Amino acid sequence: MPFSKQDGQNTPAIAGISYAFPAGSRTVAELAKERQLSSSPETLQSFGFGSVHVAVEESPYDLALAASTRLLDEAGIDRSSVGLLIYGGTPGYMSFVSAEQAEEGAAGLCTMSRFKYPASRLQYDLDLPNAWTFAVDQLACTTLLGAARVARSLCLTEGIERALCVSSDFFPVNAGREAIFNCTSDAACAVLIERNGERNRLVSATTVTKGYYWDVDALRDEIVASYFPTARHVMLRTIADAGWAPGDVDWIIPHNVSMRSWQILSGLIRLPNARLFTDNIARHGHTLAGDNFINYRDAIDGGCIEPGQRVVLFAYGFGAQWTGVAVEA
Amino acid sequence: MTIPEKVFITGASGLVGEAVLRQLLTRNPALEAFVLVRNDLRWQLASRRLGPLATRVIPVSGDATLPGLGLDPLLRKRVECETVSIVHAAADTSFSRSLDHSRFINTLGTYHVTELASLCPDLTRLVYVSTAFVAGRGTGTMLECDNGADAGWVNAYEQSKYEAEGCVRASNLPWVIARPSTIVCRSTEGEIPQINAVHRALRVYHRGLAAMIPGDRVYKFDVITSSYVAAAIATLVQHPNAAGQTVHLCSGRRALTLGEMLDAAYDVWTECPVWRKCGFERTVITDAETYEMFERAVMETGDVRLRSVISSLSHFIPQLALPKVFDTSVAESLLDPAPDPALYWKPMLRRLLENNWGQSQEVAA
Repeated sequence: MPFSKQDGQNTPAIAGISYAFPAGSRTVAELAKERQLSSSPETLQSFGFGSVHVAVEESPYDLALAASTRLLDEAGIDRSSVGLLIYGGTPGYMSFVSAEQAEEGAAGLCTMSRFKYPASRLQYDLDLPNAWTFAVDQLACTTLLGAARVARSLCLTEGIERALCVSSDFFPVNAGREAIFNCTSDAACAVLIERNGERNRLVSATTVTKGYYWDVDALRDEIVASYFPTARHVMLRTIADAGWAPGDVDWIIPHNVSMRSWQILSGLIRLPNARLFTDNIARHGHTLAGDNFINYRDAIDGGCIEPGQRVVLFAYGFGAQWTGVAVEA
Repeated sequence: MTIPEKVFITGASGLVGEAVLRQLLTRNPALEAFVLVRNDLRWQLASRRLGPLATRVIPVSGDATLPGLGLDPLLRKRVECETVSIVHAAADTSFSRSLDHSRFINTLGTYHVTELASLCPDLTRLVYVSTAFVAGRGTGTMLECDNGADAGWVNAYEQSKYEAEGCVRASNLPWVIARPSTIVCRSTEGEIPQINAVHRALRVYHRGLAAMIPGDRVYKFDVITSSYVAAAIATLVQHPNAAGQTVHLCSGRRALTLGEMLDAAYDVWTECPVWRKCGFERTVITDAETYEMFERAVMETGDVRLRSVISSLSHFIPQLALPKVFDTSVAESLLDPAPDPALYWKPMLRRLLENNWGQSQEVAA
């Protein structure tokens, strides 16, 4: 089901975005040498990937805390005004261990350590005494878009003033660095949603879930085939639910999957005036849930997106989830 | 004793040839037929399907690709003397062959048939079964004549058939060129005698592997029934005004659009609760450039199965993005009207589901 702006109602908006990368990075060629890729480095380079961020000593929680702290410092808000904290990404106890210790972290999920939750710890460490805190899971790369959508709804329905959405992902060494021809990166991203905002308003969102594709290994071909028509459908519906025409869209803010797939999808959706923000694909790779908001912030900081422009954020996540969000900058 | 009038047919164990043979023998109880047999087993199966009509058929072993059709010289002499009409329906209809291979079967084979025809003193008609898709990459209205070769072709089959038409036109024979479009079923009941590229593309759609196809929702794609094609060819064998004519055996202006065809397919697939539960998206009809980008990406990176699917479609799919309407003025002046594809497209789709794309017995029957 979509949500969409209704005339006369306040529109929740993005009040701030911050992110954190680990200290380490690898080029695609280096990843190939470390046998972290399934495809050749040349193929991935031709798809637009250059380098990715690789956590070694940092834990996902470290990155989540860093991104959230920076965001709250930048926003300069009264922390007691944050009524909601939604965490997503690396699950439970695994988020507290470094990439090198991922197996130990996974083992912790089978002990009483499973109840050591990063969401609760974030609420404490960030000093958000009034934030109802929970996590969202199983949305993969659409986690942060999903969290923002939930936050937006709760701002409207429960009068929550501010909500903090945080995602933090990492790829354990044994998982490799490639997911269906996309080079994956480690990162955390934090997004502050406010109930009333004049800039970066969340105008509409659409999510389509297709549970048939839950088995990502067995249905790999089917997922590739369904990706494009469903992505087109979701993006066009997001635009329509925002009350926009296709020609009204100024920017598409992508998740950082291959340039080739975005070229194909652009051909399918045909938004005549929309530009695609691709600057981060080569330098950051695919940070799973963080891409759209990291890109949105960079596009604003870089002067690409101007106030009032109409922007569509889109991501696909295993599960299978297709999510589009319309933002009026 | 009077020697019965005889028709000589190539490709009589194939989809069109067998149906034409049945039509001719049924219409004229005095008619007998020579059929060129390259594959004994296939002919035996076809002969069994003909039933009592087969008693009026004289199989002659040979091969259209060989000089003299590979016929025994004495037998060949008899064929030349007794044949009054010829239907050349033998062809390799695979879209994925090399040009050399397609020319060898389709063009050279036709040349050899015209050689035989020229030696038949009583010949009144040579019907060459071509294809409407000799139009190749041409777009717009395709007339019932030589539309030229400038546009090029999507596959070697189309080119070899176009070149074979040239052999026929160059002969001084009472020829008729019959150009069927894509045969998708036998009649308006939708029975499927043979699985072809259209059915295979629909299977890809049904399996949730069709991300997109090139074209436009409003482009027409011409399909036809085998019963109409067979009846039309049987008529053209004897029609007094048909000599020297090229005839489109097509739906023509009544052809469905890609949008109508795909919407109907989606409607039929969703009648099945199990399919509906999968949540497959409607395939997107996009421009040729975007489709080619997708095709290239899959061929470079896709898994073996998806690459195989895309590759198998590559000799046919580009035709969808080349909109054309086959003019049927000549056909309308000589023949009964073609059936409306809206009558049999959905029944055909349901048959595909019922027989699981030829996995059950119906297609072979």
